[in-house]
Amino acid sequence: MERIDISLSVNGTTYERSVEPRRLLSDFLRDDLRLTGTHVGCEHGVCGACTVLLDGDSVRSCLTFAVQCDGASIRTVEGLGEIGALDPLQESFRKHHALQCGFCTPGMLMTAVDLLAKYPLSTDDEIREGLSGNLCRCTGYVNIVSAVREAAAARGNDKA
Amino acid sequence: MSGIATAGAADVARPGIVGARVQRREDPRLLTGRGTYVDDRKVDGAVHIAFCRSDRAHARIGRIDAAGARQAPGVLGVFTAGDIDAVARPIRATSNMPDYRATELEPLARGKVRYVGEPVVAVVAENRYLAEDAAGLVSVDYDPLPEVTDPEAALEDRALLHESAGTNVIAAREFARGDVDGAMAGAAIVVEDRFRIRRKTPSAIENRSCLAEFEAGRQALTLHASTQVPGLLRDALAEIFDLPGRRLRVVAPDVGGGFGAKASLYPEEVVVCALAMRLGRPVKWTSDRMEDLTATSQAFDEIVRARLALEPDGRFVALDADVIGDVGAYSIYPWTASLEPVQVVSFLPGPYRLQNYRGRVRAVATSKAPMGPYRGVGRPISTFVMERLVDMAAKKLAMDPAELRARNLVRDDEFPYKSGSGIVWDRSGFQDCLRSALDRFGYAQRRTEQAAARNEGRLVGIGIASYAELTGIGSRISAAPGMPINTGTERATIEIDSTGGVTAAFGIASHGQGLETTLAQIVAEELGVRVEDVEIIHGDSAAVAHSTGTYASRSTVLAGGAATLSARALRKQAIEAASYLLEAAEADIEMRGGVISVAGTDSSITLRELARAFYTEMRRIPKEARESLELSASATYDPFFGTTTGATHVAEVEVDPQTFGVTVRNYVVAEDCGRIVNPMIVDGQVHGGVAQGIGAALYEEVVHDESGQILTGSFVDYVVPSAAEIPDMAVIHLETESPSTLGGYRGMGEGGTIGAPAAIANAVADALSGLDARVNELPITPDRLFRLIRDAEQRKGESRYEA
Amino acid sequence: MKPPAFEYVVAETVEEATARLAEYGDDARPIAGGQSLVPMMNFRLVSPAVLIDIRKIAPPDTIEEADGHVRIGALTRHRALETSPLIADRFPVVTAAMKHVAHLAIRNRGTIGGSLCHADPAAELPAIAVLLDARISVARQGGERTIEARDFFEGALWTAVGDDEIVTRIDLPLLPPGAGWGFHEFARRHGDFGLAGAAATVTKSAGRATEVRIALLGVGETPVRAHAAEALLTGSDFGPDAVAAAAVAVRDGIDPTDDLHASADYRRHLAGVLAERALADAWGRAGNGAS
Repeated sequence: MERIDISLSVNGTTYERSVEPRRLLSDFLRDDLRLTGTHVGCEHGVCGACTVLLDGDSVRSCLTFAVQCDGASIRTVEGLGEIGALDPLQESFRKHHALQCGFCTPGMLMTAVDLLAKYPLSTDDEIREGLSGNLCRCTGYVNIVSAVREAAAARGNDKA
Repeated sequence: MSGIATAGAADVARPGIVGARVQRREDPRLLTGRGTYVDDRKVDGAVHIAFCRSDRAHARIGRIDAAGARQAPGVLGVFTAGDIDAVARPIRATSNMPDYRATELEPLARGKVRYVGEPVVAVVAENRYLAEDAAGLVSVDYDPLPEVTDPEAALEDRALLHESAGTNVIAAREFARGDVDGAMAGAAIVVEDRFRIRRKTPSAIENRSCLAEFEAGRQALTLHASTQVPGLLRDALAEIFDLPGRRLRVVAPDVGGGFGAKASLYPEEVVVCALAMRLGRPVKWTSDRMEDLTATSQAFDEIVRARLALEPDGRFVALDADVIGDVGAYSIYPWTASLEPVQVVSFLPGPYRLQNYRGRVRAVATSKAPMGPYRGVGRPISTFVMERLVDMAAKKLAMDPAELRARNLVRDDEFPYKSGSGIVWDRSGFQDCLRSALDRFGYAQRRTEQAAARNEGRLVGIGIASYAELTGIGSRISAAPGMPINTGTERATIEIDSTGGVTAAFGIASHGQGLETTLAQIVAEELGVRVEDVEIIHGDSAAVAHSTGTYASRSTVLAGGAATLSARALRKQAIEAASYLLEAAEADIEMRGGVISVAGTDSSITLRELARAFYTEMRRIPKEARESLELSASATYDPFFGTTTGATHVAEVEVDPQTFGVTVRNYVVAEDCGRIVNPMIVDGQVHGGVAQGIGAALYEEVVHDESGQILTGSFVDYVVPSAAEIPDMAVIHLETESPSTLGGYRGMGEGGTIGAPAAIANAVADALSGLDARVNELPITPDRLFRLIRDAEQRKGESRYEA
Repeated sequence: MKPPAFEYVVAETVEEATARLAEYGDDARPIAGGQSLVPMMNFRLVSPAVLIDIRKIAPPDTIEEADGHVRIGALTRHRALETSPLIADRFPVVTAAMKHVAHLAIRNRGTIGGSLCHADPAAELPAIAVLLDARISVARQGGERTIEARDFFEGALWTAVGDDEIVTRIDLPLLPPGAGWGFHEFARRHGDFGLAGAAATVTKSAGRATEVRIALLGVGETPVRAHAAEALLTGSDFGPDAVAAAAVAVRDGIDPTDDLHASADYRRHLAGVLAERALADAWGRAGNGAS
């Protein structure tokens, strides 16, 4: 199978790899780069578990071919905070118990990062609609909404 | 969240680790993408399976042509039933229940297929892409057999799914108590209906995944599986492959949700093991979502005809029910096909005083994925049916449905109470739950507001659901269904190592419940160390001699009990060892926060110092003491019966009278889960359970067409609710400590899903109370509601709807 | 659910893309955002031998006004349409419709041209194109043509775009000044394709409607205009009887089918309800040209 050379940045590190054109970005991150924080839940763009940032925008990595990311800059959950140094959004998730099994969490976080950058999130309805492309089966969303609400408020304080 | 605690003297004296909102130990790794789920495990040389699955519901397997697939790039082999059953026995869920017929499940279908999605051929290739390419080249000839799709038609046995069973009714049972017919005949009021709840699938966001590694040198097999039951799998696989358990290890690492779907043994797990041994390479299979929606166990598929008789004052006098459970194509291991439908009749009388009861149940095999456990197991259905009957009766009596419940719920002075089906409710705040839920909801005020809304033409409805369940069940109850497994005990081993670290090993397998945190809280409190000093080992069959896993709202009660017993035993020994170092009597020594001290003095040592002295500094503790003592303790806990968990849910919905969309506006849960280990986690469990119950009530449905083809093979068509569909909710905890369990804990992981379908159904029915609309089928989709309302209005002769 | 193998080609100009399409014929598919194509490939419902990546042909997100039109580059992403001040000013109905399009991650990547070419009858943009009498420009090797929106959608997932053509831009003719608008959709879950939806624009003068447009989604093989209802309302005062008669005309004018999520009867009913709501909004928002 013909492979194509690509070069891209993931969480600030540049990777050069040769990929089959059909390789999904989700598999590329997980199998080729061993960044297994990005999860795969449906491979048809509904569950949102595989959400990553591509040049700053949240995208479904299961609906993106790695070959289309040549030259791009990608951010995954591994590019947020670390154990012992969680970023404020992760801290808010922890504080509010916004995760249980943790499988949807990376996608939920990356979506929230993009929502926080682009929307006022001034009401719970807006937060819920913003998160509606990410399915969670454990939490009933109540605590995720609380976590994002707090992160949105904190963001406002930073700007003020 | 306000707690109405019934604090005993013991509570006051506790250091307060149990009961505290301790942040989860699991979170840092899961929030940073450093968790390890099965598919995250990348092993050198691993090969991948793609299954060719049946596209027929019921057919004889003819010729299988795999020549093209064998030649395809990267393919290591193509395997069919004969390749697997040469090394593996079929899966057979046995039970000594009368009228139960076990069905053999071959890991790959042999002879015939019985549902769309059943694995027939396993294609192994260097990666999943290549495996799928090759699987597309396999062709299987099928000779169609008569459809066995509709459960009521299947009862007639015109075509059999399992010829060896001789019938499609693979389990049947009847409960009878009192004089139902007499009480019905004499009753002032009888309400009845035919209820149906449509098939669901648990849909954990992590699909199932398994990786088998065979170590040729040791002839040892390790299976990493996304499972709730590593211990059960180990024991089952040891038998299936005739391997000694010591060379067979099943590990459930981080698991992305289960909800019952990962609590059974699956054919794919047998296949990866068989092929790992055969190929000498690690073999992985990770389900995709289409496979999950077709071939993971499904649930909640029942037809219930039920009637409830009442006195004019509202007292319940008799309940009669006939349940048909559509249990799918195979009796699932180890739970059997009887699991869910039998629970429906067992729990139908609910938390009510009712002594004349008859419940008949038949489990019917059909050409669908096997029915397995799903959060709530049977009780979401029994609660839906009973609570609908209660509301129907209230309407007929012109009595407030809250009042009717208050008159019939078992009162505090009546415990222990033996229910109509023979279940004993030990003691629980049934009445308290109802009162607390209504208070928090602002019931009276909201009824007033509802009346005003109705005057504006808005369809606002309020629904109540009360229920009770048995949780944390011990060996006496778990043995009742006659399965050859023991789920009624749990063992824990706690060790203090030579660095002073505390490791506690359990047989449970946490997969979102936060048991690494809650069990650490219990161990820390009972032992006298800090939560962060305790490491919890779970989800590994090698960690304990016998284990099953996490399911059935059992882990806090059973593992918590085992943790308590073993921590107490270890504490005693640690204090005795310390008595030599502190030169004080054991009675004067206390241990708290990992520091062992002599009461009333400043003489103390740390756990680390004690461990060094005990294991390394050989002269500090006498030889005899070192030989007779151990800084380790194991204990088994068996609650024997188990305990009662009760709750009341109150929901408010609004139905759009034109689009028939249902919006859940308000949701309150008051539940009694006994002594709470971590209120944050309990809230989370309730929220998640309610969300799944709302899904069951309004959104989720596995749909098959008449020929048994599944129409809901994607997340576009199987509608799992998102954040936009689930409301905020209030949770009130009543902590009536259980008299029947060590620590007073009750199980509560499933309850949310048990109450919500009924509460939502009652709320929708209440919203439509001006119409004679029968809300008797879930999910209440907009299309069903449209037809329901149109039919009701047509009966009244005033249709607004074009047809 | 892994996609089948394909050859990957990047086209940097329209000429290059159309030359490649001419070369490969119907074995090739253009790909931009891939938000409709990739799921179908993951399910192996389609297996193109060649994917021609057209994202580099033009800068993304081109939205500009010229000669009585707003011109939108085919590679414009949904998110750009959603947030465009020009669109919000000239076509607030588009801005409103975009809020119903899937989710942020899909809108970030999916393109306008891709959505039109995918031609899902329940999608918002095709209905908007039909509502606004969009003109869709397509290029093939050595030529270009313009297709009226009403001729563009030929069936479910089926358009007038040839195998050798790509969509290059969409022109939306400006609405008359003071046109009011409405958009209503009903989906089972936020962001899902609607079970039905209706978009409307109304221009009024001296208390009477001078121009009425209604487009429906999710009610047939393609998005449709409810011409009979439009005719009934044009010249009317939008009184309750006129609107009710229009809703009846909407229902009579469509031929929905049963599917998993909705029966034909329910869809027909819903289309009428949503059209009434969209019309009411549009009437309410319309400026009275004569006053």
